[in-house]
Amino acid sequence: MMNRDINGEGRKLNRGEEEEEEDEDEESGRGRDAWERAYADERSWESLQEDESGLLRPIDNKALHHAQYRRRLRTATTAGIQKGLIRYLYIVIDLSRAAGEMDYKPSRMVVVARQVEAFIREFFDQNPLSQIGLVTLKDGVAQCLTDLGGSPESHIKALMGKLECSGDSSLQNGLDLVHDLLNQIPSYGHREVLILYSALSTCDPGDIMETIQKCKGAKIRCSIVGLSAELYICKYLCQETGGLYSVALDEPHLKELVLEHAPPPPAIAEFAIANLIKMGFPQRAAEGVISICSCHKEAKFGGGYTCPRCKARVCELPTECRICGLTLVSSPHLARSYHHLFPITPFDDVSPSITNIPQKLPKSCFGCQQSLLNPGSLFFSTEIANFQKLD
Amino acid sequence: MKFQIEDVTVYFPYDNIYPEQYAYMVELKRALDAKGHCLLEMPTGTGKTIALLSLITSYALSKPSNPIKFIYCTRTVHEMEKTLSELKLLHNYQLQHLGPAAKILALGLSSRKNLCINPTVVSAENRDSVDAACRKLTASWVRELAAENPRIPTCSFFENYEKSASEAILPPGVYTLQDLRAYGKLKGWCPYFLARHMVQLANVVVYSYQYLLDPKVAGIISKEMQRESVVVFDEAHNIDNVCIEALSVSVRMQTLEGATRNINRMSQEIDRFKATDAGRLRAEYNRLVEGLALRGDLPASDAWLANPALPNDILKEAVPGNIRRAEHFLSVLRRLVQYIRGRLQTENVEKEGPVAFVASVNTQAGIDQKMLRFCYDRLHSLMLTLEISDTDEFLHIQTICDFATLVGTYTRGFSIIIEPFDERMPHIPDPVLQLCCHDASLAIKPVFERFQSVVITSGTLSPIDLYPRLLNFNPVVSRSFTMSLTRDCICPMVLTRGSDQLPVSTKYDLRSDPGVEKNYGKLLLEMVSVVPDGIVCFFVSYSYMDGIVNSWHETGLLKEIMQHKLVFIETQDVVETTLALDNYRKACDCGRGAVFFSVARGKVAEGIDFDRHYGRLVIMFGVPFQYTLSRILLARLEYLRDTFQIKEGDFLTFDALRQAAQCVGRVIRSKADYGMMIFADKRYSRHDKRSKLPGWILSHLRDAHLNLSTDMAAHIAREFLRKMAQPYDKTGVMGKKTLLSEADLEKMGNSNLGEMF
Repeated sequence: MMNRDINGEGRKLNRGEEEEEEDEDEESGRGRDAWERAYADERSWESLQEDESGLLRPIDNKALHHAQYRRRLRTATTAGIQKGLIRYLYIVIDLSRAAGEMDYKPSRMVVVARQVEAFIREFFDQNPLSQIGLVTLKDGVAQCLTDLGGSPESHIKALMGKLECSGDSSLQNGLDLVHDLLNQIPSYGHREVLILYSALSTCDPGDIMETIQKCKGAKIRCSIVGLSAELYICKYLCQETGGLYSVALDEPHLKELVLEHAPPPPAIAEFAIANLIKMGFPQRAAEGVISICSCHKEAKFGGGYTCPRCKARVCELPTECRICGLTLVSSPHLARSYHHLFPITPFDDVSPSITNIPQKLPKSCFGCQQSLLNPGSLFFSTEIANFQKLD
Repeated sequence: MKFQIEDVTVYFPYDNIYPEQYAYMVELKRALDAKGHCLLEMPTGTGKTIALLSLITSYALSKPSNPIKFIYCTRTVHEMEKTLSELKLLHNYQLQHLGPAAKILALGLSSRKNLCINPTVVSAENRDSVDAACRKLTASWVRELAAENPRIPTCSFFENYEKSASEAILPPGVYTLQDLRAYGKLKGWCPYFLARHMVQLANVVVYSYQYLLDPKVAGIISKEMQRESVVVFDEAHNIDNVCIEALSVSVRMQTLEGATRNINRMSQEIDRFKATDAGRLRAEYNRLVEGLALRGDLPASDAWLANPALPNDILKEAVPGNIRRAEHFLSVLRRLVQYIRGRLQTENVEKEGPVAFVASVNTQAGIDQKMLRFCYDRLHSLMLTLEISDTDEFLHIQTICDFATLVGTYTRGFSIIIEPFDERMPHIPDPVLQLCCHDASLAIKPVFERFQSVVITSGTLSPIDLYPRLLNFNPVVSRSFTMSLTRDCICPMVLTRGSDQLPVSTKYDLRSDPGVEKNYGKLLLEMVSVVPDGIVCFFVSYSYMDGIVNSWHETGLLKEIMQHKLVFIETQDVVETTLALDNYRKACDCGRGAVFFSVARGKVAEGIDFDRHYGRLVIMFGVPFQYTLSRILLARLEYLRDTFQIKEGDFLTFDALRQAAQCVGRVIRSKADYGMMIFADKRYSRHDKRSKLPGWILSHLRDAHLNLSTDMAAHIAREFLRKMAQPYDKTGVMGKKTLLSEADLEKMGNSNLGEMF
């Protein structure tokens, strides 16, 4: 239909009428048929491409993903770089009018919420010593949804309950709020903002340039993941504050971009001085004991941890003791954070010639124990000296 | 980097070169070898200027036996400065590699307004008054008087310059206008006269089109340029219009009134001189008897006007007897003004050829063709004799004499049109007499004849075969180059239908259709919600823009658009427009987003860049045809058809499409940039229109984007913007090589060059 030639004038007219009728139907009905939706929204044919012999195949993104995976590995292995392990991150979610758009299915905000959920879990998995807070932008104002905290569940619950969009979004108000909130945290923590921005403009009450300079002065690293197109002010903000700016192509790409922020970024020079922090390693309370939990203010049965300084009971680690303010962690948390400082060296690709000689290969993957008899791509770790499958 | 093109070693100040720059240089070199003229089209953002400069200076260096002069013409002072600073960079590089042998003298030349350093003079508000203020201080009679009476002010810079006489020269180097001013201050010499003097000796001269094309100015400035010169007209897509404007004059009532005042003032002066210094007038009379050719006795600084393309044989003739005496000449002028005033009284539109006009002047006012032809020179001579230095007061009478001389000189290619009122406002009487030139080749002909090679180059010269016909010359090379890109960073689209599938167009019968207006509004509304930062919209005319914006306002569409982006509008007032542009940029910078409404053929469409986030999308609403009922245009079309066999339709389409291309070309100024272009009119999908767009746009216009409706366009825009927001890799991927290093060029050699492009 798009390649319609000029000669087909008559046919064009007829078609035009047909389409008009369809449009009227659409406008009156609103609810579209599935085949219509496939045309208007999903455009499934675009994920096909023709290969050399003229056959239609789904677009092969695997090579692309592989390249990205390798790239990430390479950047991650720059060992010896100091990284901020204790991060205080605010996730700013844009819930303005633009978040209701349906170019992501079912809508931008639902997709964003889904990715934020995944991100929060991944984040705490990789940075057990860090904390997250949530801020939303709506109707031109910024609202603090949850304060900084270390519990993934509470954040996710708060976010899912608040998924409505309206009004404009104001980047400046968001930054101002986050700036005020992050000013209170201890100086050893790394201040970061991750903004998920749907809108294509920002309606600000004042001069946003000043706010950006303020954030730069406060050493807040601002990163933005855009959902639709590159916006100059976002790019500028990220450049000034040393963050990353990226724009998502589709949902998987969005996921990838968001998760890129999970591993800790290199430390800003000002924080490079070593700092001693007081931490407590609470013991797990004995089973079957009833005590009043300091976080929920109610009596709990069993489980929980006891603060080594004030003996208060907390439910989850890591956290900050509500009573004496001591940072409470467990030693596995520390160990898990530690691996960012000394990442494993990247694996080598195994050339297909070796894969053809089965006796040289071990029978199964060293990592996951899957069979290696029909391998896709293989990697060889020089350190462990064993074969692994591409995830 | 340094590389070989045939027998010329080219010095290029960067480490890498784009393939199209290399191809451009090769073609240019061939044209220089052939000592012929050429036409080259290459998109903006590909480094056209540096390629030109680098090749031509290297060419001059490689042929030391017959040095060529290089004249580079730009449209604006800003472009002039940019060119000179690039040349400076190149010159430094050549000095590094070749040592002092590469020394050249390059300078820019502009009007006194841009070059004067005398604080009292330069503070005058416009160009004419700066010129006049300068003359008041430097004219020979003023200086003579000052020599006797030290209280009469003179310009110290000019005096110093005159005193040092032959020592006042510029050492070799590249001088921008600013450098010239700085050097003038340092030495205490007048930079304007210094530059004007040095132009004859310089290797490279950068100045404005007018210095070559406008016969009045060209006579003084460019008279002594050698034949072995290479003349470059950059951004020359409108060169035919510049040529025509240089030879067109329009006379209004105000002009006539002013001219009458001037004449009265001059007759008073004559009476005064008669009483005090009758000898002067007699001396002038004697000089005129001996003929204009002997006019060389006046000092150089006074030669501020020259003859508009008088044929040489006339120069040798003496001024006709009946205008030799000052009083007689004034009475001739008075009769001429009276006659024109009478013609302006008319109720109807009148159109005449120059021959008929001259005949009617002859019978009614008793002024024959020869007298008309000499008006210009006679006035010039008289003003010098009367020692009039406030020339800005005398512009009106100068206009009249320009007119008289042109009408007396040319019998073909002109017409005289008298309109009692503006077509669009019939009840306001505003009579105007226009002498319009139809033949662009008249003004540029001396340039083609005088100089060995003339290079005409621009980002949009399509269709490239029409320019030689319009300008009446034979190029030895005419080529159009496309841009090599690492990614598809421009996305042209032709939008033919609104979302209701009804065609959109600014065709005369469709343009005021509310459906079309609504569809255009909806298009913009869709786009403001999809495109970030800046959007530029071009409309076909001011009146159309006013109309459609009004209707959008009434239907509430404008309000919806304003929810997404702020709206700014170009007006005919320059100050207002500048302010609007300034605020538009601010709105783009701070992330609010903005739309700029502008008019094709307006100031903004010609000179302002909307690069990077200042213009992510440009929408061309309609095809910017000229106002086809304009009498001047009709007369020109008729002339073109009769003389050059160019069909009316062809010319109109060509003219409209080059304006459209010029408008949309504003968004992309470099390879790292990206932008979309929407041609919103169903007529663009027709082959005869589309094929006249420049090649670099056409090559990105996919077949699937030729017949879009609003929603399809919005979808394509979304996809495109997402794709372009991904990190940009300069070196190129997947074997698309867009940067060539020295080694690449060597490998390539000249043999397989043809296959590459």
